[in-house]
Amino acid sequence: MSVSKFVVAAIAMSVSMTALGAGSHGSGHGHGAKSGEPAKFPEGGRTITVEMHDNYYEPEAFDVKKGEIVRFMVENKGSLVHEFNIGTPAMHEAHQDEMMMMVEHGVIQGGKLNHKMMEMDMGNGKTMKHDDPNSVLLEPGESKEIVWKFTDKGDIEFACNVPGHYQAGMYGDVNFN
Amino acid sequence: MKTTLLSGALALLLPVISLAGEYDLTVDRVEIDTGDFVKEGIGYNGASPGPVLRFKEGEDVTINVTNNLDEMTSIHWHGLILPFNQDGVPGISFAGIQPGETFTYKFPITQAGTYWFHSHSGFQEPDGAYGAIVIEPEGREPFRYNREYVVQLTDKHPHSGDRIMRNLKMMPDYYNREQQTVGEFFSDVSENGLMNTVKDRMAWGGMRMMKADVEDLQGFTGLINGKGPDQNWTGIFKPGERIRLRFINSSAMTYFDIRIPGLEMTVVQADGNNVQPVSVDEFRIGVAETYDVIVRPRDDKAYTIFAESMGRSGYARATLAPEEGMEGSVPELRESARLTMADMGGMHGMDHGSMEGMDHSQMAGMDHSAMKDMDHSNMEDMDHSNMEGMDHSQMAGMDHSAMKGMDHSNMEGMDHSNMAAGGASDPFYAPGSGLVPTAANGGKFLSYADLKAQSPLYEDREPTRDIELRLTGNMERYTWSINGVKYEDADPIRLQYGERVRFKFVNETMMTHPMHLHGMWSMLDVGAGQWNPVKHTISVQPGTTVFMETEVDEPGQWAFHCHLSYHAAAGMFRKVIVEGGPESTKAAVSAQTTGVGGDA
Amino acid sequence: MSRWTSWLVPMMAGLAAMPVLGFAQERIQDTTARKQPLKVWGAQFEEFEYRYSDDDEELAAWNGDFFYGTDALKVRWLTKGEYSIEEKAYEKLENQVVGQIPISDFFDAKAGVRFDTPKGPDRTYAVLGITGLAPQWFEVDANLFVSKDGETSTELDAEYELLLTNHWILAAALDATVAFSEDREIGVGKGLVSTETGLRLSYDVIDRSFSPYIGVVHERKYGDSADFARAEGGSTEDWFAVIGARLSF
Repeated sequence: MSVSKFVVAAIAMSVSMTALGAGSHGSGHGHGAKSGEPAKFPEGGRTITVEMHDNYYEPEAFDVKKGEIVRFMVENKGSLVHEFNIGTPAMHEAHQDEMMMMVEHGVIQGGKLNHKMMEMDMGNGKTMKHDDPNSVLLEPGESKEIVWKFTDKGDIEFACNVPGHYQAGMYGDVNFN
Repeated sequence: MKTTLLSGALALLLPVISLAGEYDLTVDRVEIDTGDFVKEGIGYNGASPGPVLRFKEGEDVTINVTNNLDEMTSIHWHGLILPFNQDGVPGISFAGIQPGETFTYKFPITQAGTYWFHSHSGFQEPDGAYGAIVIEPEGREPFRYNREYVVQLTDKHPHSGDRIMRNLKMMPDYYNREQQTVGEFFSDVSENGLMNTVKDRMAWGGMRMMKADVEDLQGFTGLINGKGPDQNWTGIFKPGERIRLRFINSSAMTYFDIRIPGLEMTVVQADGNNVQPVSVDEFRIGVAETYDVIVRPRDDKAYTIFAESMGRSGYARATLAPEEGMEGSVPELRESARLTMADMGGMHGMDHGSMEGMDHSQMAGMDHSAMKDMDHSNMEDMDHSNMEGMDHSQMAGMDHSAMKGMDHSNMEGMDHSNMAAGGASDPFYAPGSGLVPTAANGGKFLSYADLKAQSPLYEDREPTRDIELRLTGNMERYTWSINGVKYEDADPIRLQYGERVRFKFVNETMMTHPMHLHGMWSMLDVGAGQWNPVKHTISVQPGTTVFMETEVDEPGQWAFHCHLSYHAAAGMFRKVIVEGGPESTKAAVSAQTTGVGGDA
Repeated sequence: MSRWTSWLVPMMAGLAAMPVLGFAQERIQDTTARKQPLKVWGAQFEEFEYRYSDDDEELAAWNGDFFYGTDALKVRWLTKGEYSIEEKAYEKLENQVVGQIPISDFFDAKAGVRFDTPKGPDRTYAVLGITGLAPQWFEVDANLFVSKDGETSTELDAEYELLLTNHWILAAALDATVAFSEDREIGVGKGLVSTETGLRLSYDVIDRSFSPYIGVVHERKYGDSADFARAEGGSTEDWFAVIGARLSF
């Protein structure tokens, strides 16, 4: 019993760390860089459609202007779970460890997400929901949108941090012009 | 979207305007210089290894093979799905290629990935007759890289294949120079005590088995792309680039543990079929297997590709560097491997009485390293009383930084003994096996259990038939067999077209056997259902039972054997006949075989 | 699923583009060497040495065998001899030709003939024996000999190799002969006839094909056999220093 509590607590803690680290507040995660912030979509704003495949995005790069607010319509056209996460390479790297845990503990199961597990009350008010504003985690066939403001120029990538996917090349570049 | 439509249209047009390529290969006597010794051998187009054949999925290839030897030859296209009479096994696919003759292979390329080719005649393959095949897919690769290299390994021995076979038959430990000595006895005594050491030696001596019997063939020089460790094959990169390395193990007998100190390797393909990417620090490549990995060297320095043999008697070495001539440090060989009693679990002649209760069939499911299939929804009710069996090998990635508030008071019962070792357990090895690999840096070592197909090749369905194949042998006689019967005395295995056969390999020997079925895919049961990886060669470790499923979708007759050259030659080999098939095929076969007769 | 389609399309392509190929596939029979029993030959000299005795006798001695055959049946020629360098005569010269078949995982049975042609009277025997590897790594070879005249004897050889290192090997060998009937003419008495004990330290220079060694050998005759030897003025116990090489081809 104590062991299960240990595991659950560890997951809960690390997920909440994720939310802080790679999340909306741009706390920097010790790297001093941030990828922007969530925003409200302005009328006439730009929408970019991003398709997820196994294991790559289409398109693999897009251009933004500093301060631009973009709405991303993200659709998973693959047969595996994928993430769309806007961040710096360092943020992605940090997030990959957490995603590894989600796989190890059955939250991400190849082609599906264990929602029951994600939403389970961990007993301390925390859940395993992957609800950071800079990312979406999609099952095959799902689509979601993110509205994001690119506040500062920087080395920003969009990436899937499901274990192995980023390393295999499931990432794209955000180019400022 | 547009391009997808376009390529779709192209695919429809394929029957009319299919790609076609013609290739020429000569089979020649060549000189092989390993840096340690120079040896006459056999090669292709004047060299060993032969050229890298680059095909494109959808292409119809024509390959003219000219035999310049004074003996018969053949070429088998290892891992390619093709009509059986193009498979290149003398006596099974065709009659072989006579000296001076040119044989023309013609077959469609229906797959993509990394494969290889080799002679299937005598010991020409260990003598140097092998090369690589790279097939570009019709669509895009599901991963990205800036450049790629074939990294083809072999275990070149100063003796010819015929001589090695004869020596092994004469003295099975002829090449074993890692045997237990008086010195090891005394070091074991100081570690484990006199009585325990004597008991241990008596137990092994009683079985007449050697703990050191990990590699039949030592004394080789490991080559990468034909270059010995001192000749140092070098692949060039620019820092920050992603490099795809296509590892192929073309060894006669040697399993290699491969690492690139300083680089994480993301495995994206195994045996030519894409797998869900998994990042590792080290992996073991069985004889005849292939693994494609992506690495990303970021620093402006040389990285050593270090491939240590499983028994630690030798190694191959190459370098990735920003420019030619740079060298990274070359690690020391680790301590030689020793079998344990666990590896003898399936041994013939041992008392099996107590083993009936052991169910190996569930072993694939035991690995918790990729705990995808576990339902945690009822965690309160979970019984952790048996947690010893849990594999914590993957826990390196756990973030313990937020653990302060946790109650550790009840943790005594947890067995963390394997955590530091980086996972000294693997469901594809006998529990307690002495062969379980661990990463040199304490990190992640690839397990078969980590391999999941990137996309299922076939619709998942129940197997229609089970076939048990016991892998058997007698080390002292150097005889190797299946179900106790050598090839010379065996009837063919008959499969029906359209079946899905579940093969059960039970390894009753103390050696590892890489089992290779020609012509049809082997879906290795790792407990992932339709995501089970699709392979052409499956390693079965001592004392273990491994399952694979095959969709019987290719008519004709095929070879099925252990890919260790001297095990196959000693009898661990079968012919598989696929009976029936599409109507047109059936008619053609029956018309053609009149008067020829099957191999009953 | 995807494989079905990707498999079908090029297959159709193949059919269309290569009518020559089609499915005109005949099932041939495997008559290659692979389907035949593996034939192996070998030659070994366990002992090939110079012996110098404690009473200054010099001998050349060997113990070798040649074989050819399959797992199921081997033909083996075993040769053993001692040649006295001073007397220029064979003190011992034994040749056997036997057929050998496996009878268990670790043991073979042998049957054949043995010809003894040293100085003095010749002998011919029928041989029946077993040879193999006993538990704890003892190589044993036990033979029963029956002469034309019905004299029977048995010989037991055992050898153990101790690996000091993987190249330095200390080999201990014991041969013992017991006769069930007397053969006065060749100095054999009933009962334990003789023993030969050897200890040899070798080093593998070229693989396992050339391993020079030094060692000591102790020969002793017992009972009636010892008496016969004494009566003829021969010795009943000898110590030898030996130098030689273990050979295999």
